[in-house]
Amino acid sequence: MTTITSVRSAVTAQGLTKVYGTGDAAVHALRGIDVGFATGAFTAIMGPSGSGKSTLMHCLAGLDSVTDGHVSIGDVEITRLNDKRLTLLRRERVGFIFQAFNLLPTLTAEQNILLPLQIAGRQADQALFDRVIDTVGLRDRLRHKPSQLSGGQQQRVAVARALISKPEVIFADEPTGNLDSRSGAEVLSFLRTSVRELGQTIVMVTHDPVAASYADRVVFLRDGLLVREIEQPTPQTVLDTLVALEA
Amino acid sequence: MFRTTIAGLLAHRLRLLLTSLAIILGVGFIAGTFVLTDTIDAGFSQSFTAAADKIDVAVRAKDEENPLPPSLLAKVGAIAGVKDAQPIVSGEAALIGKDGKTVGELVTAGVSFPSYRMDLTSGKVPASDAEAVVDTSTARTQGFRIGDTIAVLDDKNARHEFRLVGTFDVGVDQSLAAHGAVAYTPATAMRMTGAKGYAEIDVTTAGPSRESLRTAIAAVAGSGATVQTGDELASDLAASNGASTEYLKVGLLMFGIVALLVAGLVIYNTFGILVAQRMRELALLRCIGATRRQVFGSIVLESAIVGLVSSVLGLGAGLGMGGLAVFLLDTFSPDVEVPTGTVTLSPQTIVIGLATGLIMTVVAALLPARQATKVAPVAALRTQTEEHTFRTGVVRIVFAALFGLAAAALTYMGVTAKPSETALMTVMAGGVLAFFTVLILGPVLVTPLSGLAGWLPGRLFGVPGRLATENSRRNPKRSATTTIALTIGVTLMTFMAVLTATMRATADQELDSQFPADYRVAAQTGDVPHAVAEALRGHPELATVAEFREAEGRLDDEDYPIGTVTSSVLETALRPKATSGSTDGFKPGTVMIADYVAEHLKIKVGDEVSVGTEKNATPLRVIAILDSESLLPSITVPEQFFDERFGKVDDSQILITAADGADQDKARAIVDDATQPYPAVKVASSTEIRSQFDDAIGGILSVITGLLGLAIVISLLGIANTLSLSVHERTRESALLRALGLKRGQLRGMLTIEALILGLVGALVGTVLGIVYGWAATTTISESVSFRLPVGQVLLFIAASGLAGVLAAVLPARRAARTSIVGSLASD
Repeated sequence: MTTITSVRSAVTAQGLTKVYGTGDAAVHALRGIDVGFATGAFTAIMGPSGSGKSTLMHCLAGLDSVTDGHVSIGDVEITRLNDKRLTLLRRERVGFIFQAFNLLPTLTAEQNILLPLQIAGRQADQALFDRVIDTVGLRDRLRHKPSQLSGGQQQRVAVARALISKPEVIFADEPTGNLDSRSGAEVLSFLRTSVRELGQTIVMVTHDPVAASYADRVVFLRDGLLVREIEQPTPQTVLDTLVALEA
Repeated sequence: MFRTTIAGLLAHRLRLLLTSLAIILGVGFIAGTFVLTDTIDAGFSQSFTAAADKIDVAVRAKDEENPLPPSLLAKVGAIAGVKDAQPIVSGEAALIGKDGKTVGELVTAGVSFPSYRMDLTSGKVPASDAEAVVDTSTARTQGFRIGDTIAVLDDKNARHEFRLVGTFDVGVDQSLAAHGAVAYTPATAMRMTGAKGYAEIDVTTAGPSRESLRTAIAAVAGSGATVQTGDELASDLAASNGASTEYLKVGLLMFGIVALLVAGLVIYNTFGILVAQRMRELALLRCIGATRRQVFGSIVLESAIVGLVSSVLGLGAGLGMGGLAVFLLDTFSPDVEVPTGTVTLSPQTIVIGLATGLIMTVVAALLPARQATKVAPVAALRTQTEEHTFRTGVVRIVFAALFGLAAAALTYMGVTAKPSETALMTVMAGGVLAFFTVLILGPVLVTPLSGLAGWLPGRLFGVPGRLATENSRRNPKRSATTTIALTIGVTLMTFMAVLTATMRATADQELDSQFPADYRVAAQTGDVPHAVAEALRGHPELATVAEFREAEGRLDDEDYPIGTVTSSVLETALRPKATSGSTDGFKPGTVMIADYVAEHLKIKVGDEVSVGTEKNATPLRVIAILDSESLLPSITVPEQFFDERFGKVDDSQILITAADGADQDKARAIVDDATQPYPAVKVASSTEIRSQFDDAIGGILSVITGLLGLAIVISLLGIANTLSLSVHERTRESALLRALGLKRGQLRGMLTIEALILGLVGALVGTVLGIVYGWAATTTISESVSFRLPVGQVLLFIAASGLAGVLAAVLPARRAARTSIVGSLASD
């Protein structure tokens, strides 16, 4: 197994804090997190329910505002951008895969895949398109509407859509949460392949140790703080770490 | 279950707000119509009751032609118990205005004063035959003041001068209000109008009951008179005026019904969407034991509550609208004498308003409620809402085909039939069926049409445009119902626009083809002295001067007016249309006859008919049957023959054309100068006639368009409602698009374009239907219509509908764009 080492981070956060509500009702979702995600690496974020992993991802991706601290994607500090600039940044540099409801029901698989490029007014790179389609095995499903695809196929379309615009980073939020284990394994393999072969950077939030084991590195959150991380995880090491954290 | 319904209503009150507004407007319009007409009716009956209070017994001539003999006044006055008897003289005597011409389009009425039926508003009652009073409205428009000298033409066109001693209010007499009136002493009034007697004698009692006095007077009144007590008179007058408010009521109610129909579609759609969105909620209710009947009942109950609450609010709105209409009527049209009572909501209005609002809402919600009962309990467990795929069913196609065929057949029958009212009704029935066809086919049509309407936005606005097009057709049923509501209003507006444009063009064309006259000279009373024509001849600025003359005569054995026209103009300027034969051989010994006369007497071209007076008739050969729209006298004989038989007769009218290239102002001045000495002789120019006609038609069109505007507003509420519910449904989708890089503005744009497409689709269908049926209707009015498509107006309607759609999208789009991405992604 070759390890990709990088000199810089695709995404970094410094002193990232997120507080919901004020006064007595204030909930400290993130309490000052410093973390970096290496370019060309597949990183998983784990933690028990309520540990703040989804909030961390939303803040890293510019979907949610931060209370304090800095987040940078590439060389751009996103915590300073207004909504319009943030939108343009997402368009150009970020890809998303959500747990469910990834696709627009009115568009075909192909249209869904090309949607981010079209929104940005960019042309698809045909070679890349073919490679991505073949990688995720959707060649014969391109003209289908989402309602005609299985859950696994829908998630593969979502993966293809995230890959096609060659974003700086892809954020995946429980991408296998709604899938059976076989489809889940397929999707995770595609994600890992895209890191290995296309040099894609992926940050994935998951609560599943098996899913996390596909990553190069796993960071663990508890109560809004980054508490541990492990390199080259296996399901067992991830599970052990989780159990240790719960204790 | 009841508590759940209430809780549901409270939870969705915002979503139901727009629906309520649609009902409020519809019910408000209907209630407002009743409020307005009730108020006017109340005003009339108040005025009549006031009149009845003063008059104890009225003697009225049964027939206007045979007035009460003047001797009757003394006889009535002599009856024991009669305190006072006042005659009413009613006739015409043309008032001359400050410009030296008779006032107004209609001949001024000549009446007598004092009167129990009218009130003096200033000055005093005319006491001598040198004094007169005028009605307040005429005094105001003509600028007459008490002390002025006014001139009036009597029935022989002789001029008389009077000192103006007062003004009076014509009260509720619509005819006097329209004509304007001058009042004199009864004797002077009879002299001026040439009346042979009294139209009415109003009697007050010195003590005896009205009934006994009535009996006593009836004994002397004779068979030509109706004798009534004041109460009977009041109810008689009120009844004849009530008929006119009935027209107003029926007319306005038609628009109210259109508005309610549109509101019904909006409600149907809203409940349909609400039910679709609450599938899981309803399924959960079913899971925990609610029966189908209970689910159905809860939706119906919900609609009943919404309907009732909105109808109550609608009644309030109606009171406001009715009151506003009364106020506007009082304030802005002082010439229309409409008495108004207090603005009130009658029990009848309340019952009708509540019933229509409630019934319509519940009926519109029945189908969605039935749909709700079909929810399987297991649906509660599904995470993702299903996409509504629409497939064109066989039943739909069969029904559409049946309706379509019937519509086509009826329309074809109406269009090909001879122009008549029946043909028009047939075409209208076809139109209603065609509308139903469109209603049934709506979901099928909306997909290609929105593709068409979305083509340009898709090109112009890229991804948001294309997504909007997809969204507008993703639920064809919903889109179809939303747009069809707009279609109704646009169809009717286009229909009216086509009809009026065609009528205008046809009238213009007829004016042009029959006689390209620039001026028409005619007398308001009597004939135009021959000297006018003489004065007009010999001016190089005037190309033709055509004199029309008519006299009482006989055709075969029946009385008919016989007429003639300056023969030289028949070949040149005047080109009468003959339905058979030809006007070319018009020479001594021949006659031309209008088609309706020919039809009545069964006369054909080539027949010999006897024309002349009773004692002196000559056989003439019929050379042409004239179109009834031709301006020629119905029996036209050569000039020479006319002169021989009828002698010197003044002109009934003179038609004049200016010479080509002549100075229009100079030509007009010549005509004005020639008519100057004769107050009753008035000049009308074809441009004036045309613009008067255009103004009248334009006025009607704008009133109708304004009233139909209500239906449009309601359908816009429908678009706004559908959009906001769709936005709610697609919260996560919108969040996904935002995550993928769609800007806030682009998301707003997407929804705006969707609304634009919906608006355009509704307008496209509406204008097509409106144009087709506008055309079909014009073919049933007359055979010689020149169909005119008001392209500008139709384009305006389409553009306005699109714009209106955009307006309807403002709030839903804003809400969609404001929603936080993270919150929406997480929401289920």
